[in-house]
Amino acid sequence: MRSVERRLGAGAVLAAALALACGGDGGGGLPDTGRNVVPVSADGALCGGNPGTYVNEPCVRVTVCSPGTQTCQTIDDVLLDTGSFGLRIFKQVLTVPLASISAGSGELAECVHFGDLSASWGPVRLAGVILGGEPAVEVPVHVIDATFSGRPPSCSNPDTDPASAGFNGILGVGAFAEDCGGACAASSNTGIYFACSGGSCSGAAVPVGQQVKNPVAALPQDNNGVVVKLPSVAAGGAPSADGTLVLGIGTAQDNAPGAVSVLDLDGSGEFRTSLAGKSFSSFADTGSNALFFDPPGGVSLPVCASNPDWFCPPSAASLSATNSGASGRGSAAVAFQVASFDQLDKANNAVFPTLAGPGLGSGEFDWGLPFFLGRAVYVGLEGRSSPLGTGPYVAH
Amino acid sequence: MRSRAKVAPSWRAALAAAAVAVAGPASAGLGERAEAIAVDRRALQAEPGGAVAHEGYTVERMASPGHAVREFVSPAGVVFGVAWDGISHPDLSTLLASYEPEYRRAAAKPSPTGRRRRRVRTDHVVVETWGHMRSLHGRAYVPALVPHGVKIDAIR
Repeated sequence: MRSVERRLGAGAVLAAALALACGGDGGGGLPDTGRNVVPVSADGALCGGNPGTYVNEPCVRVTVCSPGTQTCQTIDDVLLDTGSFGLRIFKQVLTVPLASISAGSGELAECVHFGDLSASWGPVRLAGVILGGEPAVEVPVHVIDATFSGRPPSCSNPDTDPASAGFNGILGVGAFAEDCGGACAASSNTGIYFACSGGSCSGAAVPVGQQVKNPVAALPQDNNGVVVKLPSVAAGGAPSADGTLVLGIGTAQDNAPGAVSVLDLDGSGEFRTSLAGKSFSSFADTGSNALFFDPPGGVSLPVCASNPDWFCPPSAASLSATNSGASGRGSAAVAFQVASFDQLDKANNAVFPTLAGPGLGSGEFDWGLPFFLGRAVYVGLEGRSSPLGTGPYVAH
Repeated sequence: MRSRAKVAPSWRAALAAAAVAVAGPASAGLGERAEAIAVDRRALQAEPGGAVAHEGYTVERMASPGHAVREFVSPAGVVFGVAWDGISHPDLSTLLASYEPEYRRAAAKPSPTGRRRRRVRTDHVVVETWGHMRSLHGRAYVPALVPHGVKIDAIR
C-alpha cells in the first residue's frame, strides 16, 4: 500500500503554485504572509460571487496539485471550517487531474453527512495541497460530485454545485486528523466510505491513512493545530472582515499562544458551555454562520416572526456564558450580544457579530463565526503536543 | 400544537398487523407496529440493543457502526418517535416509513447556507437534525401519535 501522507519534496511545486497565485487571478491586495499564514476573508475578496446571500462566511484560498507534479491550480471561495476535517472541492472547479484511490475492485468514494442533513458525495482522490507558504502535502481529498458512480440511497440530499452550496469547497481544519478515524477502519458499514465499480457502490472499511485527511496534520512543521484570528467587527456589522489562519501552535513567532484557557475536547470534538444555569455540549465552528442555541429559561430571545431561523429580540441582549473542557478542566468566560436579525443592515453589510438563532431542541451550543470575531481561537490537533498541551483542544 | 394524523393510529396498527400476518411488514419506523422494529434493524444493518421501559412509553435500541438508533413505542405498541446519534445519519427512508414521501417533499427546498441544523415540519411529522462531522444527531416524531403526558423532549 502506498503512503498517502508522503510529502512532496519539490520546492519547485511551491514555486509553481506561488507563480500561479501571483498570476493576477484576483489575489491582488492580500497582505504578504509568512510560511504558516493563510489569509482569511469573511465575505471579502476571497469569497467569490455570492455577496448578500451568505453572511458570516469565512473564505480561504487553497492550491491543489496533481500529486507528485507541478500541475497546480488555486481555488478561492473555500469555506474555512473548524467543524470538519479534510479538504473537499467541487468537481466543477477542479481543472487539474487527481489520482484515484483503489478500494475493493474499484475506487474509493465517500458520503459525509452534515448537521442539516445535507451530504457531500463523490470520490476520494490523492492531491498535493498547498496551504499558505507551506510545502505541498499529498493527502486524500474529497471531490464533491453528486453524479459520481452509484450513490447509495442513504446518501440523500447531496450538495450538487458551488452556486447552490455557496462555496467552491470546504477546508476542514478542526481538531482531528481524519474525517472519520478508527470507526471507518474497523467497519465497512458506517455509511461513510464506499468502494465503487461499474456504477455501483458498497460499504468499505478504509485504513485511517487512506481517509480524507486534514492537510494541517500532514505539514512538515506547524502540524499540531491552527489559530484562527479574525478582527473585531462593530455591533452593526461590516461588509467584510479580513484575518488569518495561522498554521501550527507555538511553532513560530506568529503562533505563540497568549494567555488563553485550554478546553479539552471529547471524542466528538465537543466541550461544555454554561449559560444562565443551563449546560450545553458545544463546539467552536467557523463553518456555522451564527451562534445557535436554545436560550435557557429566564433568557428571552424570541425568534423572528418573519424567519424562525433567527432571533429577533426587541433590543440587543447582552449575555455571558462560560466555556469549560469536556473533562471539566479549563474555564473561559465569553461575553456576547444577540441583536435582531430583522434590524441588521443586510443591504450594506455581510459580517454580523450579533447574529444568532435557535438550537432547534438540540441541547447544543454552536459557537459559530461571531465567536471568532475579535479573538484568537486555538484548535489543537488530536494527539499532537503543543505549548498548550496535547490535543484535541480548543483554547481562547 | 398537535396536528391530526393521516391515519387513525388504530387503523394504522391494524394495517401493520395485517401486513405482518400476510407477508411480514415491508417497512417499519414511524407510525408502524413495534413488532416491525426488527425490520428496521435489518434494513439499517444494526444490532439489537434491548428495550428500556419508561413511564408512558418504551425505548427500543439498536446500534450499527455508523449510528445508534432509538425507537419510541407507545403503550399501544405504535412507534411515535425515533432518535439517533452517530458519525452518519441513518437512512431516513427506513425510519420515517410512510411519512417519508411527505418529508421528502418538504425537505426538497435547499437548507440555508452556513447551518449545522435543520427542522422540517410537515402536516404530520417533524424531523430535526443537528451536529457536525463525527457527532451527528437527529430525531423525528409524529405529534399526533405521541402518547398523552409524554414530553417531546423525551424523544432523544
